[in-house]
Amino acid sequence: MGRRLRAVYDWFDERTAIRSLLRKGLYEAVPVRGAWFYTLGSATLVLILLQLITGIFLTLLFVPSVTEAWQSLNYLKEHDAFGSIVRGIHLWSAYILLFVIGLHMVRTFFSGSYKRPRELIWVTGVGIFVLVLGMAISGAFLPWDQAAYWTAVVVTNIPAYTPFIGSFIRALWRGADTVGPITLSRTFGIHVWLLPAIRFPLIGAHLALLRKHGEFGSYVNYRGAYRSREGVDVPPAPAQRPIEPPYPAAPSDELWAAPLQTEDFYPHQTFKDGVISAALVVVVFVLAVVIGAPLEAIADPATTNYTPVPEWFFLPLDELLVLVPQQLIPLVLVLPTGGVLLLLALPFIDRGPERNPFERPAVMVPGAFAVLFVVILTLLGSGRLFNL
Amino acid sequence: MAHRDPRRLSRRQFGVLGTQVSGAVVAVLLGIPIVGFLLSPLFRQQQAVWRKVGDISGVPDGEPTKFEVAFPQDAWTTAENNLAVYVVKNGDNTKVFSNVCTHMQCPVRWDGSLHQFLCPCHGGLYDINGANVGGPPPKPLPQYVNRIEGTTLFVENRFTEEI
Repeated sequence: MGRRLRAVYDWFDERTAIRSLLRKGLYEAVPVRGAWFYTLGSATLVLILLQLITGIFLTLLFVPSVTEAWQSLNYLKEHDAFGSIVRGIHLWSAYILLFVIGLHMVRTFFSGSYKRPRELIWVTGVGIFVLVLGMAISGAFLPWDQAAYWTAVVVTNIPAYTPFIGSFIRALWRGADTVGPITLSRTFGIHVWLLPAIRFPLIGAHLALLRKHGEFGSYVNYRGAYRSREGVDVPPAPAQRPIEPPYPAAPSDELWAAPLQTEDFYPHQTFKDGVISAALVVVVFVLAVVIGAPLEAIADPATTNYTPVPEWFFLPLDELLVLVPQQLIPLVLVLPTGGVLLLLALPFIDRGPERNPFERPAVMVPGAFAVLFVVILTLLGSGRLFNL
Repeated sequence: MAHRDPRRLSRRQFGVLGTQVSGAVVAVLLGIPIVGFLLSPLFRQQQAVWRKVGDISGVPDGEPTKFEVAFPQDAWTTAENNLAVYVVKNGDNTKVFSNVCTHMQCPVRWDGSLHQFLCPCHGGLYDINGANVGGPPPKPLPQYVNRIEGTTLFVENRFTEEI
């Protein structure tokens, strides 16, 4: 660093303590083992930031009005090749984000990383997951083409089956009894302001708590050698079965320990994070250019030949709508709500010190069944809609 | 320490109370208009309008026939909302069905080969009288309030029964 540059840096450091902040941020010790799995978290963050950036630029053109939303996006499609790529990146990074955040969650579930004292990292993560789903659903309303319009009709109609206050909730979202101008204005506001305004502070809390407790939540970090609180290295056991380490509880806890094999966050973990994130961004870019974001014909409430097909991430719920008989329609609300509540409760249900997934059948088996249920619903739904 | 009347607020308690009251004032003054703003569309009465559907002299008996009718959209939008209705004539008796499915409000269509109304979303079925006869729909197809002048059919933007 040049002398003048260093002087500027010193000037800022004196006023902001930026040097120690950077040092703390970049040179934190992170575990070597499992590091590639941990790239899922940073990839989730990168994809969310991609959403934020492309979303900001899309608002420079998009008009949230029933008479002009479709026209503004059609203009983009017809007359603005770069704008179409921006919209393509927005759509495809959303699709891939749903996959990656799902994998991130499965990884955390599998490795038992949500255990004391990391319960709130998991809880904020579930919150972010639900908000990402909310962003995907509200975003699907906005183009106001046939797909968007009928998605808006069906999705806003589902809460109408809430006992007692159902039609009130539906009207609150729609701003009227039927889907119309206020529905689009409200959903646009929810999509660009309300949900992000909740999501970004939650992401901040998620990361701050992660840094507080260290990136040592996983089972894999403690198979073998670890370092006890007193700084004593405990070697791996010679026996077949790896020694059961004193899993890290609260840092103040007697059982606290850190994995022996650690390295600096920068550049070792950032290298892995960068490789995975860049690869995903390349995939998003290629899909955005080659396939792009579709725009069907403009919304036509009077259609009698259009078959509404839901977004792929909505397929499990759509299949439930087909399977659940008329007397039990509220089940379509109860199952996803119950699922989210169970996810939030997970760290408070599975409280034992055991993190090995094979020693935790009480959560692994129901978890596997839940995933299987969603996968089967998705397959049934795709089979029905695409005649597979 | 000087004697203090326990019934009187200390300086500290006064500070706590004042902070809480200030927060409550801001919350109430912001909350009332915001909640009212959110709810106000729900309490607006829908304007009742009659609209011409068309000449129904050519509609065959016992064969649901699709017409389109434009109703005003809610709120400020001047463009009207085109909706589909199915006119079913049975001698002197004319029914005007909405094509909005009672399950998830998808666009129902008449399938001549099935001789039933079919919902494309989740497989709901209705017979020619609008009765829900298969799939998940919990109620029959709604019917518009209508009147006939000569051979011209008019409908009002409300249903014969609440849905």
